[in-house]
This record gives sequence, structure tokens and C-alpha cells, in this order.
Amino acid sequence: MFDHVEAYYRPESAAEALRLLQRSNGRARIVAGGTDLVVDGGRSVRALIDLSHAGLSYIRRRERVCLIGATTKLAELEESTVIRALAGGLLARAAATCGSVQIRNMATIGGNLAHGSPAADLATALLVLDADVVVLEGKGRHKQPVAGYLEPHLQNGRKSSVLIEIAVTELPHTARSGWSFQKFGRTEVDIALVSAAAGLQLDARGRVKWARLALGSVAPTPVRIPRVEQLMAGEPFDHTLLARAGEQVIREVQPITDARASSDFRRELARVLTGRAFEECAAQAGCDL
Amino acid sequence: MKTSVVGRNLRKVDGVKLVTGAPAFTDDIHLPGMLIGKILPSPHAHARILRIDAGKAKALPGVHAVLTYEDVPRVPHTTAGQAWPEPSPYDTYLLDSKVRFVGDRVAAVAAESRAIAEHALRLIQVEYELLPPVLDMEQAMADGAPVIHDEPDSRNIYDPKHNVAAHILREIGNVDEGFREADFVFEREYRTQRQQHAMMEPHVTICWLDADGRLVIRSSTQVPYHCRRQVAMILGIPVARVHVIKPRIGGGFGGKQEMLLEDICGALALAARRPVKMEYTREEEFHMARCRHPQILRLKMGVKRDGAVVATHLKVLATTGAYGSHASTVQGNTGSKVLPLYRAPHLRFECDVVYTNTPVAGAFRGYGCPQGFFAQESLVDEIAQKLGIDPVDFHRKNAIRQGDVDKLSAQLGEGKEGLPRVIRSCGLPECLTRGAAAIEWDRKRHTLPDRASAIKRGVGMACAMQGSGIAGIDWASAFLKMNEDGSFCLQVGASDVGAGADTVLAQIAAETLGVTLDKIVITSGDTDFTPFDTGAYASSTTIITGGAVKKAAEKVRAQVLGLAAKMLETTVENLACGSNELFSKGPARKAVSIADVAMQALYREKLQIMDAASHFNTDSPPPFAATFAEVAVDIQTGKVRVEQLVTAVDPGTAINPMQAEGQVEGAVTQGLGFALTEEVLLDGKGRPVNPNFLDYKIFSAKDMPRLTTILAETEEPLGPYGAKSVSEVPINAVAPAIANAIFHAVGIRIRKLPIRPEDVLRALYERRQEQREEEMLVTK
Amino acid sequence: MKRMLLSVMVNGVARQWTIAPGDLLLDVLRREGCFGVKRGCETGECGACTVLLNGRAVNSCLLFAAQAEGCDILTIEGLARGEELHPLQEAFLDHGAVQCGFCSPGMILAAKALLDRQPDPTEEQVREALAGNYCRCTGYRKPVEAVLAAARRGREVRR
Repeated sequence: MFDHVEAYYRPESAAEALRLLQRSNGRARIVAGGTDLVVDGGRSVRALIDLSHAGLSYIRRRERVCLIGATTKLAELEESTVIRALAGGLLARAAATCGSVQIRNMATIGGNLAHGSPAADLATALLVLDADVVVLEGKGRHKQPVAGYLEPHLQNGRKSSVLIEIAVTELPHTARSGWSFQKFGRTEVDIALVSAAAGLQLDARGRVKWARLALGSVAPTPVRIPRVEQLMAGEPFDHTLLARAGEQVIREVQPITDARASSDFRRELARVLTGRAFEECAAQAGCDL
Repeated sequence: MKTSVVGRNLRKVDGVKLVTGAPAFTDDIHLPGMLIGKILPSPHAHARILRIDAGKAKALPGVHAVLTYEDVPRVPHTTAGQAWPEPSPYDTYLLDSKVRFVGDRVAAVAAESRAIAEHALRLIQVEYELLPPVLDMEQAMADGAPVIHDEPDSRNIYDPKHNVAAHILREIGNVDEGFREADFVFEREYRTQRQQHAMMEPHVTICWLDADGRLVIRSSTQVPYHCRRQVAMILGIPVARVHVIKPRIGGGFGGKQEMLLEDICGALALAARRPVKMEYTREEEFHMARCRHPQILRLKMGVKRDGAVVATHLKVLATTGAYGSHASTVQGNTGSKVLPLYRAPHLRFECDVVYTNTPVAGAFRGYGCPQGFFAQESLVDEIAQKLGIDPVDFHRKNAIRQGDVDKLSAQLGEGKEGLPRVIRSCGLPECLTRGAAAIEWDRKRHTLPDRASAIKRGVGMACAMQGSGIAGIDWASAFLKMNEDGSFCLQVGASDVGAGADTVLAQIAAETLGVTLDKIVITSGDTDFTPFDTGAYASSTTIITGGAVKKAAEKVRAQVLGLAAKMLETTVENLACGSNELFSKGPARKAVSIADVAMQALYREKLQIMDAASHFNTDSPPPFAATFAEVAVDIQTGKVRVEQLVTAVDPGTAINPMQAEGQVEGAVTQGLGFALTEEVLLDGKGRPVNPNFLDYKIFSAKDMPRLTTILAETEEPLGPYGAKSVSEVPINAVAPAIANAIFHAVGIRIRKLPIRPEDVLRALYERRQEQREEEMLVTK
Repeated sequence: MKRMLLSVMVNGVARQWTIAPGDLLLDVLRREGCFGVKRGCETGECGACTVLLNGRAVNSCLLFAAQAEGCDILTIEGLARGEELHPLQEAFLDHGAVQCGFCSPGMILAAKALLDRQPDPTEEQVREALAGNYCRCTGYRKPVEAVLAAARRGREVRR
């Protein structure tokens, strides 16, 4: 457990939190909700930095940009009218699939991202939304696409930075568009064996204007699948296109075999969930196959 | 018979303290100076301890005791909570110089805090000689396989040199002849997995020395008396110097029919001369507690053209893990409770239970039956399908009936010759009728699949039986004494594990005494104050302890009636009791309250009205169950969703129908996990892979199908007020009902549990490949 | 070992407890006598440790006690008023929703959090609210029925 923690800090700003983190020689941990931190444990942890008083819990909308503070809870995302209106409620739906009510009442969006799980549901949704994250480092505020933040080789950098905000920009034209989040678990309350977040816009003739796809649990981090997106652009949206997209997904992903699922099964699930995600997007866009 | 307390849905007698969170469980006390005890688990599946140095651990401030095999007596025993002489091998030691599975005890410490205890464990230096492990039960008996129990002082192991803990062979009639008589013979192999109880309250024990220096053991146990006897023997202290107290228990399901922590905790308390608490973490629960025996079942059944079963041959290979707890008895049940469901004149059951360097198996709800019924009911469904007989009709025609005699039970008792079972009550026909109606069997069996949809629906069914107590071995006693206000103290050694035994027993007492339930004050499971009881297992408490309670209550009622007759100046024959009073039956109604009788007895007659009784049965009347499942199979992902589960049970009389339904609904939930999601996984080195709820998936409130519970009551002559049992039987037919429903939905038979989406998808894929190959052959 | 002071409201009473910075809320609550908060898994899966924090259901095994500074905590001990049980507690007893009782405190609190915000839930919403409370005894059927029954008792439930 956390028997050697000597100090519990409640900084009132992100800058103060960063200072505390940098001073700690790697022995401090950020506490947002605590749900991942406590499970991971830590006999080596000497200080805890509670981020919940640093003014990072907010959901704001400025024209087309939605700004979410890093310590905003998953339950707050689920319940927020702003988030439910954003991209067909994709982020709210992804949040709603995470764990149980108890977990969602404590876990934060920042924590979900910072923990870096390959299955992180919010990360998958944010990827497909082309979200940006704002990180506070020694050099100051640094904004980057969420894909960049998730890069595995940057894990160590996270130990001396504080994720403070997530920014999602709503697309200007949303007619005939739809978004979907699909997650496959062994039971209803489960980590994703595979998850798929997708977005789609069709033109007046039913052709794909653009398609976006992000998959979770098929790689070390959630990933976008650009080749599928390119394959679909400009094509009529029909079963043939979905089949082709599914085949491409199988070629793109190299999931691992672990205690939860074999790589073959994950690959097949990725294909099926991709198809179902795009079908749901299209249905929202007004096209029923 | 009209009853006023028995048969009513009364609130649990311990209900209020449970819903208010009153400190009623083992861990809900603070004892001054209490230390935390922890076990150092073996990181290796099979190793000898060459050297163990606890010096640094002992020197750590805050550590009060460290024990290794060098510090404790070496007494071979079994941890199985069974009546003496236990039919399980005596192959376990308090601490040993050899470790036989990942998690086996290497040493134990008692320290002032959990952190210090864990630190102390890390300071114990151990030098191991690694031995090759046997992890695969199919390799355990091979010549040249590493011998897991090579110690000379273990006893009652069938063939230690070949890692065989137990071997069973029983036959009725002659199966070879039977198969010759049969028109069709079917043979299949089935596999079942390691399932864990996952009760919400982990194993927890607190030991201390009372003012008289006696060892007090406060423990979450189903078997306080077996525990007392075993701890006394292992620690070398007289039984009279051991006191076991069983508080409220947060679930057992057989996992606490075991002396698991009490011995080591007691040893630490004696060494430290301070109270010691030991509680398993959830991670430790998953591999250092007990689990269901994994089995490979080879089943062969011979039938006549019309479906009559003539011969059944079941051959089982099971592993008991590293120690032989419950090895012969669980597997014995796989034969004795399963095969006799059909009226075949020829039955043969043979079984090898082998050791492997894996987590130890033990008792778990169903006790060998879930495995056996998965095989038998799956094969029966296949047979019925091939013969073109509706499965419900097949069961009606072939299943055991009232009046039948089950001769296989005569051969398979608790590890020795048992007693034949006469079926005096059998509600299976009603279970079949009502269950089939509830799920709309006929309509759904003939509904065509939806071609357009990826979701295919199907229904399947299966039947099962169990037992009620172990004939000739399970027994119980009860003591009743009267208080001033007409209430009674009822003392039983029985162990209410949460199923509501205290309530049911109190209802039986109240009914017999003619009082309301609030007049019974029940104390259970304290070896100093309650009389003997073998414990809460084998679905015995209602029928066996209930039998003792009824007898004791009848004796006490006779005393009460005698005194009341004297007070009312009439005869006992002229009196009846009910609703807290005793009254004359004639037209001139005279009555006296039970409280008045009590005061008269205690203060005028100077008489404590009290009595005791013991009870056992020479038979084990089976409860019956028919389970009907409706599934929706997603053929693109393989996910099987159980939409509806109907369980029709014959429990004899339901003493408390609401509690009985609760037992059914809990049992089927564990059955759902057994069928679809639960498995303890080990890696190539025997290390647990998923010792947590994240990856050992049990059903949550969101996963549940619509449940329908039907109590098809009968009246069992051997049970108090006609009761049999209900706590195990509903788990037995869930897995085969689901497997059979999957077949109805998508035409594939899965013969290995758990049935994961991946397995369904793979089976569907393989069938498509087979069909493609067949088509290619046809077109050639 | 470092010590700090924790000020919390527990079951309507202001408390000041001395804790270590790394103490988990579950351990502190049980240490201070709230035995109704149960230890089932310590990884936030089983929900036996559920308490209400500012009206929201949380897993106390996953919270540092210090995270609760200044908050309002409700444990099962705070639900009944003397001998008068909360309608949820009555409903659980009447419907046979309590067997071993180990999961019951957490489940009842999770249900209370639901009914306080949604007094007229559907069965699906009840199951969602209880999805983080594992029970190995009841199969959830009677607990769900009990919550729906308590909800039907209407406004009385909102306390």
C-alpha cells in the first residue's frame, strides 16, 4: 500500500502542482481520481499531489471549441449537456462505458489519458475527435494532438508534466454526420477487449465525405486507422464498402494475445466493431443499410 | 399440514443487523494489541526449501512472531472440513520444507501492522531447490512424472508415486452388456474449469488466548467443530483448550468448508502471545484458498430407439491441485449424484483424482455435480436430438421417479460404502411442466431463426438432482431452553453462511413450539455454547439440523404442555398450542399464555424447561431441478447473452419460500459464471494470471438474464415439515441448459467450459470450413 | 510516520481524525468504527466498500482518506434514524434481498444515491446503479425488486 507517503499536497494551481512534481525526484504521484493510482500501488511513493483543488474541473464551450479540465470526472462528462451535444454525444457515451457508477464518480478524463492504458476508452474517443491536450511542463503550456501525447516513448516525459486540459473542436458542418462508440467486454462491466470509435459524414448522394476510425486494445495505445479512413473517402456507403473496410482493419492491426483474448479474436472483433460503428454513424447520418 | 410459521416469507432473524451494517462479521472487532498475520507464499510451483533464514524478519521492529517449518510440529492432516475420520488424504502440514504450488505456505509472520508484516515477509531469505512441476493433469500419472507427495508420513493417498490422490471404481449391473443391448451408443468428452467461490467476504480468522489461556478462534467458517478438532490436533493442544466462534459469514459456498487460516493463525497467536488477525486479500483468495475441481469427463451412454437409457459409463480425470482436500468425495458425487438421474440398469463410474502443482481444489456448491451434469445433460440433449425426441419428453420418460431406489449411492458414500437411496419425494415431473410453460418451450423450440439478424435465439434445458445431507454421516444437535417471557434460546452448532439457516431453524422451532418467530433467540456456531453439528455443507442444515431442532422442540413442547395442563387443570391431550398461547380444545376455552407458563416454571415450579436432541438420516433425499435457458447468440462476435433463465426446483417443503428463491437465484448466478465467464488461469509456471475481479469475471446486476424461480414443493417424509434442501441443486443444470440452448440457436455443441465468445466464434468458423469442404467434395 | 489531520463530516457529525497521508479511506473508516464499510477486493471492483461522498457513490478502497477532506460522507451506519430504518433497508428485508449481508451496505447506499437523484428509475437504471456492487448470494433479482419497491414508496425515500 502507500505506507511511506510523507506528504499530501493540495496545490491550488497547476503551476504549483508542477513545481511539487518536479521537486520530488520521481517520488511523487498525481492524484486526480485515484482509481488507477491506488490499484497500481506504490511502496516507493513519498508524496501525493491532489489535483482536485487546482481549478481543473470544468467543461466550457467557446463557439466550436469544447474545453475540458483534466480533473473533470467521467460522471460529469456523462451528465453534461455540453458533452452530450458534442459530436453526437460520443465522449459522453465512451465515459458511460467505463467501469461502474462508483468508478465514474471518481475517475477523471486526465487520469484516463495519463494512465496510458491501451484500452483507455476516452483516449479512443478523443483520438477520433482529433482532440488536443494541453500539458504544463517546465517550459510552460504545450498543446499537442492527443495522438502525440499517447505515444509510448513519451511515457517518461509524463512524469514531469501535468496534463491540464483537453480541447475538442466541433466540426463546422454536421449535416449527415454521425458518431459511434462500440466496446466489447466479457461482461457488462469490463475493460475493453476491443473498442472502436468512429465518425462519418455522407454527402447528399450517400457517398462518404470523410470517415474516421480509432481502435482501442489492438495496439500499445489506442490508434487511428488512416488507411481505412482513406479507403472509405469518396466511396458510396454500402455493405461492400464496410466489408472492404473490415478487411483493411484486419490487415492494419497487430493485437496481442493475453489472458483476456487471443490476437485472432481481437482482430476479428476489430473488424466487426468497425462495421457496427460505421453502421451506427450512418444511421445517425440518415442512411440505413 | 397447515403451518403458521413454516412456509411463510418471514424476514431474516439477523436481517436488521445486516442492513444497518452492525459489527457482526469476523473482522468487525478491534482487539487491544491485535497483530496482523501474513503468509509468505511460494513463488514456485514445486520446490524444496533448502535453507530458510528468518533472522532479519524477526529482528524487524514490530514483528512479534515468525514461523517456518522448523518452528512448528509436523502433523499430517487434511484441511477438508469433514467428519472424522476424514476421507481425504492426510497430506498437508502446518508448514513444510517442500512447496507444492505457487502460493503454498513458506512461512508466516505476525506484526503490528500490515505494512510491517509485508516488510517482514520480504526479509525472510529462502533458498529453493526448484523441482520440475506437473501442471497438466493429463501428465500427472505418467511414468517418470515428478512425484508431488514423496514424503513418507502422509497417509490415505491412493498411489502417491503416480500422483493419484484418490481412485474410484463402482459399477451396478454390467455396462458392457448394457451397451450391447443398446440400439445406439454415444460417447463424448467434456472439460470443466477451475472456478472460484469469490464470496464477497474473504477468508478471515482472528485468534487469541483468553483469560484462561485457551485458544479462541473467531473465524468465518462453515465448520466450527471440524475446525476445532483439526486445530487442536495440528497444534497439539487438547480440544478442551480450543474455543471456536463463528460470527456472521459473508458467503461460503464450500470455500469455507475448510480449515484454511485457523491453524496458522492459532500458531502465530500462541507464538506471539497476542491476538492475531489473518485475512486473505482478494488476490490471495484466488489462488491460496480453494476452487472447484477441474475435470475431464468421458461419457458413454447407450440408449434404445425409444430413448430409454440402458447403460451409462462415466470416466473422470480430475485434479485436486497440490493437496487432496475433498479429492475422493467431490468426485464421488460426480458419479453418485449424477448417473442415477436416469433409470439405467447398468451404471459404471470410474475416476482418478490426481495431484498437480496447482491451486488446491475443495468443496464448491454442487460438489462435483456441476461438472457431471454438464457432461450428462449435454450428451442427453445430443441423444434426444439424434433420436428426434423432445428433450423435455426424454427427461419425463427416463428420469428417476418417486419410489425408485438409487443403488449407486449404496456404493459411493463419503469415501466408503454408503447407503441406498429411496426416492420418497420427487417433484421433477412438475418442475418439467411448470418450467417448460414458463419459458414457452414449445413455441420457442419451433420458432425459426431470424435469417437477417446476426443474433440467433435458442432455448435449451437440463435437469439435475443433489442430496440433502450425507446419509449416515452428517448429524446435528440442538438445545432449547425457555425464558421468562415465553421466548426460547435455541442453540445449534450449525453455521449460517448467509443462506438464512438461522431463520429457517428458528421457524422450525417456532412452528413446533406454537410460538411466533420473535420468540426464538437463536445462537449458532460456538463450540463452547452450542451443541455439535458437522457443519454447513452437503445441503444439510435445513434437513439435519432442522430435524434436531424439531425433535428438541417437540420434547420441550411436551414439558410446556405438561405444565400448562397442570395450570389449566386439564389433560395434555386436551391442549393445543399456537400464537404464543396454550389453549384447551373443547367448547369451554381455557388458555394460558406461554409467558405465564414460563414464569410458573421458573419461579414456582423451580424448573428450567429445556431439552436437547440429535438427529441424522440414513438416507439423503434428493432435491430436483429443471433449468430452462433462452440464449441470444451474436454470430459475429460469439457473445452469448442469456435472455431468460427459468429454474423449477423441488426443495421438499420450503420452510421460507422467499429465502429458498434467493438460494435458487444465487446458485444460478454462479452457474452462469461457470457456464460462460469464470476461470482461474495459470501461466506456464503455475502462477495465477487473473487473481482479481478485473479478469476473473463474475456476473453483475447488468449481466443477469430475466430470472424465473418456481418452487414445485413436495413433502419429504425424512425432512422436518417435509423439507429437503435447495442451496446446491439449482447450480447443477445451468451450464448444460445454456450449452443446449446454444445448440438450438446455432447448431454447434461446445463441450468445454467456460463457453467464451471466442470459443463460440471459433466453433462457428470451423463448422463453416467443414461445410465448405463438404460442398467442395459434393461439387467435385 | 508522518501524520495529518482530516476534517470530514461523517453521517452528519463533524469528525477530526489523525491519519497518515497515504491512508486509504476504507481503512480509516473501519479503524474509526464504521464496520459497515466492507473490505472485499481493494481494487474498486466489488463495491462492498461503497460510501456516499457528497451524495455520490464511491469506492472507499480507492480513495485516499485525504481526498475526502471537507466532504460529507455517508456510511450505512448513518442511514437509519435510531430504530427507524430507511425505506431502502425495510425494502431489502421485506423482499428477501439480504442473504449473507456482506454486500448489502454498499448496495443500499448505491441505491440511495440513485433514488436521491432519480426517484422514479427504470429497472435498467437500477441495474446500472448497482452494476458496481457484486453479490454472490442473491443473483441481484430481489435487491433490484427491493430498490424499485422503495422507489415506489415515493417522496418518503428522499431524505
